[in-house]
Amino acid sequence: MSAAVPSPVLLEPKSVTGTGAGNDPLVLLELIQRLKVRDVMTTKLATVSRSATMREVQELMRQKKISGVPVEEDGRFFGLVSIDDIIRALGGGYIGDPCSKHMTTKLVVLEDDMPISFALRYFDRYHYGRFPVLNRDRRLVGILCQRDINRALLVELSTELNRLEAATGRHLAQDGVSNLYLLREFPICKYDFENAGKAANEIKHLLQERQIPPKIIRRIAVAAYELEINLCVHSDGGVLSWQISNGRAVIIARDAGPGIEDVEWACRDGTSTANEWIRSLGFGAGMGLANVKRVSDEFEVTSKKGSGTTVRAVVIVEGLA
Amino acid sequence: MTMAEMAGALKAEILVEGEGCHKAIRYVVASDLMSDVLLVDEEDMLLLTSLASDQVLRTAQIIGAVGVIVVNGKPLPSSMVEVAMQLRMTLATSKLSKYDACIAVHGALGARV
Repeated sequence: MSAAVPSPVLLEPKSVTGTGAGNDPLVLLELIQRLKVRDVMTTKLATVSRSATMREVQELMRQKKISGVPVEEDGRFFGLVSIDDIIRALGGGYIGDPCSKHMTTKLVVLEDDMPISFALRYFDRYHYGRFPVLNRDRRLVGILCQRDINRALLVELSTELNRLEAATGRHLAQDGVSNLYLLREFPICKYDFENAGKAANEIKHLLQERQIPPKIIRRIAVAAYELEINLCVHSDGGVLSWQISNGRAVIIARDAGPGIEDVEWACRDGTSTANEWIRSLGFGAGMGLANVKRVSDEFEVTSKKGSGTTVRAVVIVEGLA
Repeated sequence: MTMAEMAGALKAEILVEGEGCHKAIRYVVASDLMSDVLLVDEEDMLLLTSLASDQVLRTAQIIGAVGVIVVNGKPLPSSMVEVAMQLRMTLATSKLSKYDACIAVHGALGARV
């Protein structure tokens, strides 16, 4: 089952200094009341029809790395095949049977317009790993796991944090960019191309909100993006951090390995250790560090083979606000 | 010439109509190497590529491109449409080869001059 990233639901603007500011402990309670099941559920479903065999369902589970498959036809929901059903089918020797004979049909379902506070109570009460979600027409429209809720809450809390930072930033920006202070850190995982680039995009948006000149934003965003991709492609995982204060945007990519044998060589145009797979994704042409150097006012790489690498890029922002 | 007009010239199907769809194109880059794309310091750029990956869209977003046209009739992963919608980036696909697409771009821009 591919994970659908729920669209963030923006919080209503609130006063930072007045009552109901985002650091209120009631924020979480407010979120679980306001968010509906349809806002957080997975909507891209791997489903089967009633005629599919248990073996086909097993194979689908393996391919999609999921533990439950809804049985539906044209949106009409008939039941669910869980991993337990598959284990029983393997033990009982009926793995070749149609799933309609062995699927679980006595199910607890959620409705898509229920608040997630309701869903959380259901998880607590029934101890199921997932709940099918039906709409008002009793059509299957999604599946909800606790992971979906956790992810949605993290997105919402992050949005709230950004809103607070933006509001704080606006106050600081009144005194000019030189006094603006921001610090962010983004963990980057090896080969996580699904998320690579998100940190740089977030940095770009934060800078745009603060009305920093587009050409400066572009240089910072390009440096952050190349360093993020570098962490994803070449390191065993690391952290991209950036801060902007006293007229300087400082971007630091730090990882714990495997390290660069020849830093000078790695910074030259066209030199790369990337494999064919990475090249097929549009990266690994050996321009990454060279690009970062090109857009930076200060650039420094410290690395040792067998240990970590730290790349530090600075873009001067002062005086351009 | 706007991204929507260029899509017409390249017989491209617009899959996601983003914020830049009706913005004038000021520069066109055809490349499959995203680091090369990041090197181009131009605004309101159209990106032609035969690379069908989410990173194409994220790269386009970083440089403020008006849109992306994936050429060679490459089948797009479904995630690409989702990412384009999230980023509000115009995404189109054309069956023309990159070479023919470049000729069509030249013809379309020449016709406007």
